[in-house]
Amino acid sequence: MDKKRVVVTGFGIITSNGIGRSAFSEALFKGISGIKPISLFDTSEFKVKTAGEIKDFRPQDFLGDKGLRNLDRSTRLVNSAAKLALQDAGLEITDANTADTGVTIGTTLGSVNSISEFDKEAMKEGPHYVNPALFPNTVINSPSSQVSIRFNIRGFNATISTGFASSLDAINYAADFIRLGRAKTVLAGGVEELCVQTFLGFYKTGFLAGLKDSSAELSCPFDKRRNGIILGEASCILILEELESALERKVKVYAEILGFGTAFDPYRVNKYSLRTEGLKNAIGTALNKSSLDADKIDYICSGANSTIEGDLFETMCVKEVFGERTKKIPISSVKSMIGECFSASGACQAAGSICAIEKQALPPTINYQEKDDRCDLDYVTGGARNAKVDNILVNAFGPSGCNSSLVISRFRS
Amino acid sequence: MSKRIVITGLGIISSIGIGKDNFWNSLIEGKSGITQVTSFDTSGFPTHFGGEVKNFNPYQFVSRRRFSKIGRASCLAIAGAKLALEDARASIADYKKERAGICVGTTMGETQVLERINEDWLKRGVDAIQPESIPRYPSNVLSSNVAIELKLKGPNYVIPCACAAGNYAIGYAYDIIRSGDADIMLAGGTDAFSRIAFIGFNRLFAVAPEKCQPFDKNRKGMIVAEGSGMVVLESYENALKRKATIYAEVLGYGLSCDAHHMTAPFSEGIKEAIEKALRQAGVMPEEVSYFNAHGTGTLANDKEECLAIKKVFGEHYKKLPVSSIKSMLGHTMGAASAIETIACCLAVKNDVIPPTINYQTPDPECDIDCVPNVCRRQKINIALNSSSAFGGNNACLVLKKLS
Repeated sequence: MDKKRVVVTGFGIITSNGIGRSAFSEALFKGISGIKPISLFDTSEFKVKTAGEIKDFRPQDFLGDKGLRNLDRSTRLVNSAAKLALQDAGLEITDANTADTGVTIGTTLGSVNSISEFDKEAMKEGPHYVNPALFPNTVINSPSSQVSIRFNIRGFNATISTGFASSLDAINYAADFIRLGRAKTVLAGGVEELCVQTFLGFYKTGFLAGLKDSSAELSCPFDKRRNGIILGEASCILILEELESALERKVKVYAEILGFGTAFDPYRVNKYSLRTEGLKNAIGTALNKSSLDADKIDYICSGANSTIEGDLFETMCVKEVFGERTKKIPISSVKSMIGECFSASGACQAAGSICAIEKQALPPTINYQEKDDRCDLDYVTGGARNAKVDNILVNAFGPSGCNSSLVISRFRS
Repeated sequence: MSKRIVITGLGIISSIGIGKDNFWNSLIEGKSGITQVTSFDTSGFPTHFGGEVKNFNPYQFVSRRRFSKIGRASCLAIAGAKLALEDARASIADYKKERAGICVGTTMGETQVLERINEDWLKRGVDAIQPESIPRYPSNVLSSNVAIELKLKGPNYVIPCACAAGNYAIGYAYDIIRSGDADIMLAGGTDAFSRIAFIGFNRLFAVAPEKCQPFDKNRKGMIVAEGSGMVVLESYENALKRKATIYAEVLGYGLSCDAHHMTAPFSEGIKEAIEKALRQAGVMPEEVSYFNAHGTGTLANDKEECLAIKKVFGEHYKKLPVSSIKSMLGHTMGAASAIETIACCLAVKNDVIPPTINYQTPDPECDIDCVPNVCRRQKINIALNSSSAFGGNNACLVLKKLS
């Protein structure tokens, strides 16, 4: 059986440094940071004050005024990104294609604000008085389902929660569905909103930058000064399509999803480990599945998020996989600009990779000043750089043991 | 892709029994697990009954140290997974760890952990939130915790597709093995008894006061419950090689989305998922010998589901036994369709159909054969397990007796 090829025909993205493909791409190559003081909730009691918050987000601009009232921020973000993605791919959902079209969203804490507020409201006012219209927001698959409802997408709808790897895993789930003939087109990506619940989670467990005295509140992956995450929020949706379907529609093909690998490090929850086995296996499988030799990778779109262990961990894994050639492979972190968007990060990295293929240029790692001797790769620290970019490795990993790697390539017919 | 996938182990924690044998005995006896809720004070609520798992001793499955670090949903999932492996007489040590994985479905995730955080926060402020409770909450910990306990290094997913999640997880695990990405997968669903779900369903007036009566004219709603169901999936070749007991072969599955409403069930979507599943499995509607219904016991669900069954099966629907084990267990949320898959496996294996209990008054809108009140001995070749979820997400699994 001929293996079906999975291509990307468009994407929609909403991040703190740009809304929509062109704004995001421009910010990315100019090295513009989206990190700013938090306005979504009061930070006066906290040591940390900044995040990658999306300031000028008006869902009405994308979705109109109707039917927004009961939707939480994650749902508004993901629906807006879906709308942008559909537009970008010139895709219209019709009676003819809806049964072959699906939605897969990676999110882990996308509904936590809704769940927590619903529960607290019931405790405060009594269970009789809480607004039942807000109950549907308390299921984790609510943002994803609302995309299907709004755009009438009936093929299937799935949500994947694997923490930091969620949206990369969602992209793979979608690609699997296309390869297995379960769907022809899938809106795949991720969403996480910035809210006090998620912020508190990372804050109280000590993952945020700027928690220790005299430490910089800065997202500076691979830099010696790095000391933790700057939290971000984002939604990014890719339109994945079976090649035949894209060709039939005569649309531009941005890139191809070549291969994917995932591996789990079953050691501990919520603490980075420097055991490189899992991510190495994930990368190895992704290359294998892509039928690519390691020396064909031109660029690594890193999952590094400015944590001391995480950035070192990825550096170590990459070195072990690529050996001597490692220092010649540029690797940069989009999270230096938009912060750690948790479950939405992988999809944003995939979008950044597609921009890199389109521009034949590499997005930089910004905020880099001081060298850490243990992190000694080419992190593209001097601003964006022109380069031949055919094959990109995207990594996602986290302190709970998940490791996923995706190979995205320039489309060759 | 020709690889055949079979189910060789069943693990279950439910209000009507822990372990496959206890569970099955209760099912065919038509025993109910619904009792007064004890997880929290229900005095402010209009209803007071639920399907809680009693007599669950977590230390039988996890160490005290591990227990202190995980929530109840993880604990139920680990217990289910261990029982399933034991039942399969399989040891992860016999597999390449990198090729052993897990998919877990859930609706509410570690809901009790978050409920506790919310209580502390509301009553005593942000500072009262225990930092060590935070890592126990995010939904991805469910599969992580099982993998850590069993040292699984392969694919690891939480698929939180609400009340159809168990089928989603089993379906994806089936795809993963079929695609050659793993040799053995644990898959299923887990949910702990949730105050938030209890509040919400009560506010939707969807909860029955005392008992769940699927397909009955006087049915009054669903009953919130908890539990976990896990199955062991592997290739047929592998199962033969290690001389495993095979419960059933997974012939295929189908997903669909209503794209209609967040909470209202919709017959068209349910029908789509069933038809897709049959198509993938290469099974004609007339060949189906048992249909395990989602059957929550709400007016809308049962009516829409019966409508979908009639659309798919035509005249055959009159001869098709359709039962809902939620009549006994209540609605175990993300675990429900996994537990129902286990019930189907046992039905296929034993040629017995579990009944729909609490059935008294026929409803002309639900004029299916719901196997009322008493189990039925009948040869079952092919069983369908249909499930629906918030968000309009439907998943249907096809299981076949191995001849």
